[in-house]
Amino acid sequence: MAFELPGLAVYLISVATFALIYGLLVLGLNLHFGYTGLLNFGHVAFFAIGAYTAAIVTSPPPAQAGAVAYTIGLGISMPFGFLISLGLAATAAGTVAFIVGLTSIRLDTHYLAIVTFALAELIAAVIENEQWLTGGFNGMNQVPRPGYTTLPGDIWPLMYLGIVSLGVLGVYLFLDRLVSSPFGRLLRGIRDRESGAQMLGKNTSLVKLKSFVIGGAIAGLAGGLYAHFTGSLYPEQFITHITFLAWIMMLLGGAVSNVGAIAGAFLFIGVRELLRFMPNAGITNLSTNLQWVLIGIMFVAVMRYRPQGLFGNQDEIISGEEDS
Amino acid sequence: MLIDVLSVDASQLLRALVIGLIQGSIFAVGAIGLTLSYGVTKFINFAYGEFLTYGAFLAVFIVSFGTGVPIAGLIAIIGIAALGVGISKLFFEPIEDEGPFPLLITSVGVAFILRYSLAILAPETGYRFPIPALRSWEIMGIYLSPIKIVIMIVAILAMLGTHAVLQYTMLGKKMRAYSGNKELSMISGIDTEAVIQRTWLLSAGIGGLAGILLALFSPPFGINMGFNFLLTIFAATILGGIGKPYGAMVGALIIGLALSFGTLFISPNYTQEYGFIILVVVLLIKPDGIMGGEM
Repeated sequence: MAFELPGLAVYLISVATFALIYGLLVLGLNLHFGYTGLLNFGHVAFFAIGAYTAAIVTSPPPAQAGAVAYTIGLGISMPFGFLISLGLAATAAGTVAFIVGLTSIRLDTHYLAIVTFALAELIAAVIENEQWLTGGFNGMNQVPRPGYTTLPGDIWPLMYLGIVSLGVLGVYLFLDRLVSSPFGRLLRGIRDRESGAQMLGKNTSLVKLKSFVIGGAIAGLAGGLYAHFTGSLYPEQFITHITFLAWIMMLLGGAVSNVGAIAGAFLFIGVRELLRFMPNAGITNLSTNLQWVLIGIMFVAVMRYRPQGLFGNQDEIISGEEDS
Repeated sequence: MLIDVLSVDASQLLRALVIGLIQGSIFAVGAIGLTLSYGVTKFINFAYGEFLTYGAFLAVFIVSFGTGVPIAGLIAIIGIAALGVGISKLFFEPIEDEGPFPLLITSVGVAFILRYSLAILAPETGYRFPIPALRSWEIMGIYLSPIKIVIMIVAILAMLGTHAVLQYTMLGKKMRAYSGNKELSMISGIDTEAVIQRTWLLSAGIGGLAGILLALFSPPFGINMGFNFLLTIFAATILGGIGKPYGAMVGALIIGLALSFGTLFISPNYTQEYGFIILVVVLLIKPDGIMGGEM
């Protein structure tokens, strides 16, 4: 007999899973911006690299998958392959963060904003164009969901929510230790006054690079969890907008707060789900467009009226000025 | 999908060169507007792309009343210049002392507000100027539509105009002074509020012009036009050294050529990405951009 949950519960489980995956993405961004003062405007790139890495290593080889556009599917089998896949997703994203960071982390923060923004556009273009690797617009829609075929009915979403929760908890605890360690204090020191840290003999570029790689790897992990949750990946899931969704979640929850990162993700996803029920009143895309106007207003309003967000600290507002 | 280099003949090369220069000159107009505002406000304005989009839409809207494109363009540019001042007063002035990050993050929000408000007002996917198809001119074996040549002339005039404003007017001198040293220019009695406001006026107006040129160059256009070219304009700006108008011009021409030749020699699937690759290479060699020195 199949295990069945009421429709609303299934819906809420799915929403919560997405919110947690986004929360993970925001945790990575928060390490970059909140704790280190790095302006990362291409966070979606690391998310995408993680997701597609997971898809490529676990999708069935094209010979077995039928008519698919991609040519590489390593088909690592599931229960055990899941962990390998997530590990590789984080590693791949971390590696790209390392390469990008190596070239641009030492530059002025504004330059990093543009380089990361450009990276996201580049990755998006590669996903669209390199059909052999990513399936292009046909997507990769045979990403295995661990246990999906063996677990009865609605147990799978519940189990996957559990897995994602564990992942988020693990990363949260890791970051919690990291930011209160001497390394974490150094990150804040660099954020508030890089010249001061340099004067103390710290190699600030190296420290920033470490932060960039760790945050990128966390985003990659989020991508991997996302791929194995949805089972299919398409280019439109990884557009530039995702970066800014992560930003507004972080700002709402409060940069420099890991609790805020998760809370911001839940708050934002909650609001967005409510907006889904808004009618279009006969105007094309009215509700989507209004949603984005609203997101824009959130950016402006948070920065003006509550720059520390919900859970941030008023004494730790990141201005980007050396002597603040 | 590498195209065989040897199969490219001379006329294709020349065409890529000319198209590269024309689009480079449009990027140059856009990049100057962005870099001018950075020079004075010291933050990267992510809403700048929307000035391009709004310029094109406003001009097309005015044309729909039967006005000619040049007059409509001029009115639209004035309109966008005013919009720029309004936006700076409404969104940026209240937080101008909070540092560059809050300003930059606010500009992301402003970009979304502008773009998606326009999306509600203009729900169709493709817009274009009602310009009759003119017979192309043959110049040295390549065919070019007269409109492209007009675009290039207007772009060059805009660059010369910016040069004249910066070098020979009091406003230009004040802008350069303020950009070089904020405190010193305030002590010397420069009305900095007025300088900031006029910079917004100039930057947004130039952005509007770039948008109109871009819309004429590659129709049809939609609400994402400005945002899609933001990266290219950023690349040109940084390539030239951020905050340096003359650098932006050179950077934009290089990017324009890179896009054009990259499409011809490497793969037509990518366009703006060639600009990105050049940008990274330049940042590695010379992080200040190709034009050091002051504004």
